[in-house]
Amino acid sequence: MVSASDLLAPSRNRARRGRGGPRRAPGLAVAVLAIAACFAAPFAYLVVRTLGLGAPAIEALGNTGTLAPLARSVALGLAVAVAAAVLGVACGWLVARTDLPGARSWALLFALPLVIPSYIGAFTLQAAFATGGLVQTVLAPVAAVSLPRVGGFPAAFVVLTLLTYPYVFLPVVARLRQAPASLEESARLLGRGPWATFATVVLPQVRGAVLAGALLVFLYTISDFGAVHLLRYDSLTRVIYASRFDRPAWLVLSLQLGLLAVAVVAGERAATSRDRMAGGRVAPGGGALRLRLRARKVAALAFAAAVVVFALLAPLSVLAYWAARGIAAGGSGFGGVGELVEPLRNTALVGLAAAAAAALAVLPVAYHSVRHRGRLADAANALVVGGFALPGLTLALALVTLVRAAPALYQSLGVLVFAYVVHFGAQTLRTAQVGVAAMPPRVDDAARLLGASPLRRLTAVELPLLAPSVLAGAGLVLLSTMKELPATYLLAPTGFDTLATRAWGAMEQAYWAQASVFALALVAVSAVLTWVFVLRRSDALA
Amino acid sequence: MSRRATLLAPLAACALAATLTACGGSEELTVYSGRSEELVGPLLERFNAETGVDVAVRYGDTAELALLLAEEGEDTPADVFYSQSPGATGYLAGFDLLAGLEPDVLSQVDERFRNADGRWVGVTGRQRVLVYNTELMEEGDLPASVLDVNDAEYAGRVAVAPENGSFQDFVTALRQVEGDDVARSWLTGLAEADAPTYANNNAIVEAVSRGEIEMGLVNHYYNYRFLEENPDAPTRNHVFAGADLGSLVIDSTVSVTAGAADNADADALVAFLLSEESQRYFADETKEYPLAEGVEPTADVPPLDLGSAPGYQADDLGGGLTDTIDLIRDSGLGV
Repeated sequence: MVSASDLLAPSRNRARRGRGGPRRAPGLAVAVLAIAACFAAPFAYLVVRTLGLGAPAIEALGNTGTLAPLARSVALGLAVAVAAAVLGVACGWLVARTDLPGARSWALLFALPLVIPSYIGAFTLQAAFATGGLVQTVLAPVAAVSLPRVGGFPAAFVVLTLLTYPYVFLPVVARLRQAPASLEESARLLGRGPWATFATVVLPQVRGAVLAGALLVFLYTISDFGAVHLLRYDSLTRVIYASRFDRPAWLVLSLQLGLLAVAVVAGERAATSRDRMAGGRVAPGGGALRLRLRARKVAALAFAAAVVVFALLAPLSVLAYWAARGIAAGGSGFGGVGELVEPLRNTALVGLAAAAAAALAVLPVAYHSVRHRGRLADAANALVVGGFALPGLTLALALVTLVRAAPALYQSLGVLVFAYVVHFGAQTLRTAQVGVAAMPPRVDDAARLLGASPLRRLTAVELPLLAPSVLAGAGLVLLSTMKELPATYLLAPTGFDTLATRAWGAMEQAYWAQASVFALALVAVSAVLTWVFVLRRSDALA
Repeated sequence: MSRRATLLAPLAACALAATLTACGGSEELTVYSGRSEELVGPLLERFNAETGVDVAVRYGDTAELALLLAEEGEDTPADVFYSQSPGATGYLAGFDLLAGLEPDVLSQVDERFRNADGRWVGVTGRQRVLVYNTELMEEGDLPASVLDVNDAEYAGRVAVAPENGSFQDFVTALRQVEGDDVARSWLTGLAEADAPTYANNNAIVEAVSRGEIEMGLVNHYYNYRFLEENPDAPTRNHVFAGADLGSLVIDSTVSVTAGAADNADADALVAFLLSEESQRYFADETKEYPLAEGVEPTADVPPLDLGSAPGYQADDLGGGLTDTIDLIRDSGLGV
């Protein structure tokens, strides 16, 4: 298939042969190789250890006994990805393309469910909506509602969709803010209704961002353990968890999940050309066309409110209820606000460090993988994205083994941040790729003709254009890192607590109030950081 | 861009500084604790105040910390491992990664709750019980034995947590005392009756308190935690009478790692956890059964009759863990 990028290639190659010689390519390739090697580390560990187990382990990779859980993982992943895409696009469109009142506040509220650890999200949603839960209790004086037992595929599907749609929402908003509104204006002027305009103009523009986000949702879902564990859906991660004391089985199953991810990523890359990834070019300065909702404003507000109620308010209400109840009864274990200070500082520190490091680390890969199609680019892309699908515990134990050789680094913050970058780098890569693909080559060409050096072109022309996409990706990494558990538990310096580790630890021992206070603090600090470092800046850049 | 650079610089500096301090030569005692900071933190502060020994603690999930210790091997930074489950500890003892404890420490605890080779010693006992909803069940109608939960009267009404370490330790004990066939048919019976399954003890007690299910097999102290935060919760524990395996006592255990075999501070911490002060703390705060001789449990919990406790060896719980997990999975209960 001949894609637009193939047609563009000759002119780019001609330009490259012009002044300055081959454009950045050798240095960039070396950087990409080094970065890819870092991301390859956990995979290399799994492959080497599995090969070390000999023929039975290798045969077990194709063991049909594990195919059923694998198929269930894929089924859940696909369903959640599709639903999250629909929800994410709807929320993104409302915020960026309509005159929804309070759009900036909604933007923050729509992004926040991502910071709720899936285990806590599942537990609280269950406590809210299941039999005898908060909703039923509150409604009891008004109406006798009978709610079904929550569990299995439907429950895991709903909970994971509510917690992961921001993976689509944030990139879509970033894309819509940069996409030219002129096409939409023309469409409207030519008499197309809002739905037709949405379908024929807006959707193609955000397609790349939606695909990028949906892939992240898919990978998150197949590697998630917290929600499927609590909601009793028998996916592959639960089999991996159950086999954790059986080292050979554990290695083989983890590798199976990793290989599935790499295959999906490779397939997705093969099917997505550069321009389809972008879905059209950016047009800086194009003011956003905002659809007047008029009478539909109430319906739009009701929809937005419903999303926030289910994905954010319900879990937070349950947490607030648990906190208040336990503290009132005096048996909460809550030791005062002072206890929050250190975990809060640690959480913010690792979140911001991982977000910044991930954004910078994957930028060369994003450039290379969009502008060059070759084995290195394909491999780097697959490795970076594949790291997201490895279960956190697998990744953490792999890094434990690899870093043990360097005692000076072991259990240092540097290695912890490295682990986050390897685990979550995919989140900035996919959004950055969309940004790079959307960058019009002629802007760069013009800068080159005006004699700008490569570095100057990068800082003055390309990075500002990329910034919204990169920031959206960094925001995803920020939120993911702040709630991360297994790598934090195993790789952080001894004594380094985060809000997420404290919340989980308290919850494990049924200190509900204590757990709730930490979880609420986690959501609060995420809200502040997302606002200050992601949404406000992305507003300024748009 | 420059703004992001200014943001990054201090962060990088922080990370570097923290890395350096983390690596600085330290005399402190490093503990890997599978029990959370809420439980253990205050006790370790007292230990520090009394002995002057600085303690660094890595809190986490017991099973994950055991895997970490296994991966780290002999040169683990950990000196002491405080485990929620003898199963996970036994897994490590199998790798020869644990040092022998002092005989005078071991002798404080009944031999059923310590390792024959002295690699670990029980600190507190958690009893397996049936938690039930008082609004849905009369105490007199509850099953008399854990082996009765598959009787027609109760089939499908008793919840279990197949992935939970304590449930798995219970199944290992069942295999040990009654044999694999009894254990298998008990598990298969649960699966065939479509017994409700939950992720862990917490989720079961929570579901019982909501009235989603009538009964569930859990450890005794979760319900006391629930009642402390919600005194109105309609949940009560039912202890299977006599030498029923359903009222098995599972210990939390403490060990010293092989690398810290000569570390006097590590031994001091183990002794401290078995001191009357610590045992009293656990009894009163967590409602667990103190295992050191001479310390009585709190009056809130029914007295524990160790004399008629089922005849099993906690020591063997570790060895059979992977087989137990296979058995549970094969039963169709869906680990």
